[in-house]
Amino acid sequence: MAANGNTNYYDLYRHGSLGTTLTDALDDLIGAERMDPQLAMKVLMQFDRVITEALNEKVKARLTFKGSLDTYRFCDEVWTFLIKNVTFKMDGGQSVVTADKVKIVSCSAKRSDEK
Amino acid sequence: MSNATVGTVYEHIINEVINAVRVDFEENGVDDSVLEELKKGWQHKLSQLNVAQFPWDPKPEAPPPAQAAQNTSAAVNAQAAAAQQPTANYTQSTLSPQTAAQPLSLPGGQPNGNGVAIKNEPGMANEPAIKQEPGTMQPMMHPAYPGNNAARGGMAAQRAAQAIASRYGSQAQASINAIHQQTQQPQIPGQAPQQQQQQQQQLNPQQQYQQNVAAQMQERMQQRMQQQPGQPGQPQPPNQQNGLGGAQVDGSSDGFDGVLMRRDADGNPVEMGRVEIDNLLHAQLLEKAKQREGGGLMLPLKEATKSRGTATKRSRAAARGANQLDGNDEDDDEFDEDAINSDLDDPEDERDDDDEEDEASGWIMLCLYDKVQRVKNKWKCTLKDGVLTVNGKEYVFHKANGEYEW
Repeated sequence: MAANGNTNYYDLYRHGSLGTTLTDALDDLIGAERMDPQLAMKVLMQFDRVITEALNEKVKARLTFKGSLDTYRFCDEVWTFLIKNVTFKMDGGQSVVTADKVKIVSCSAKRSDEK
Repeated sequence: MSNATVGTVYEHIINEVINAVRVDFEENGVDDSVLEELKKGWQHKLSQLNVAQFPWDPKPEAPPPAQAAQNTSAAVNAQAAAAQQPTANYTQSTLSPQTAAQPLSLPGGQPNGNGVAIKNEPGMANEPAIKQEPGTMQPMMHPAYPGNNAARGGMAAQRAAQAIASRYGSQAQASINAIHQQTQQPQIPGQAPQQQQQQQQQLNPQQQYQQNVAAQMQERMQQRMQQQPGQPGQPQPPNQQNGLGGAQVDGSSDGFDGVLMRRDADGNPVEMGRVEIDNLLHAQLLEKAKQREGGGLMLPLKEATKSRGTATKRSRAAARGANQLDGNDEDDDEFDEDAINSDLDDPEDERDDDDEEDEASGWIMLCLYDKVQRVKNKWKCTLKDGVLTVNGKEYVFHKANGEYEW
């Protein structure tokens, strides 16, 4: 999950719902020949920047979670965890969400701060 | 952190992105309406995922907050209406990777490759209704049947017909045809010249069929896009009428015979009448359309690709079967090569599938890590700036602490 060339923002979030829907919407327009792929790449790079900043600045929520670690992997500065029987606690423990399993893909926070 | 903040954060992100790329759009000479359409499409797709309540969604109790962009012009409003039509948007979106893959699919194919065939459809799209496909199918197929008498044509044509008939039963998508061809083509040099000719004759009608299907799908999508009210900037290249007819009458399949043969359950060839063939094609097209819409509507792109991948495997297997009918055993060798490490390969494959499933099922957290610590089997990690999708809902967080045991 490398940061992209000139901007140094991760393209990690493209795999989330916001990113995939943007990619789909761009695909539609490219398919209809209403814009070219280079422009779409620019849009995605802006997206990388905006979502990173927005999550950093606009979101204050905290979260704790517990579970049993099934798989872990550390490759190219990216941690991947597969955790089973997870319990997420949010809003200071007011709301609890449980899941059978969750996959965590996590890039280093340091590298993106160095930008 | 609650699900409620997601909507506002996402809206902020969308607006930021749209504003940030406005300059790029202007520099590229792309109309502002396209940008608005992108925004609408993006929001619409996001709403369909139903991961959170978004500000732009109509709420059950309250009217939707008016969006500044929506009020700018009537054209934009029309686009909003267009964006409300899920099928059209989705079919187009699910189709687009397909079309991108198409040119690859005809490596040695007819000189007017698929790019041309696809560009034709705006011309063809003048036909009014979707329901017409069986009708449009007939004129498209006719040039391939120079005479309707079964007596005409030789052995090669018969075989070609058989190949098509036996094949499109197992084909789910036009792009799979392509892989068929790719797997077949390497064998051509190894065959006797006469056989080679036959093989090519098999390929040509197949390519045609494939082009027909691709063009037809595209055409229907186009029609649907056009039926949406007042889509302003839809480009209508006027001079691209030529291709589709041209694709058929370029004579590559003159030896084609009026009859398709199909193998029944016992493997006996059964002759198919024209009506039967039409019905078969129609049913397949409908099924494909349904698959694209229904399947594409709910599936993340990744999963859609995955299912195509398995279909590809299946089609390869089918291709292998077909090749064995030709008495060509070369494929078996390839297969054995793959199987050398079968003990090691299989579990690995399974694990990969597992991983894909995890992602596809949407239980995923994307974030940055500050610290990951481990003491014996106890892990502690500090994460930040994350997006969590779980139980079909989405959450965002600034900081997260996780503790888990391995």
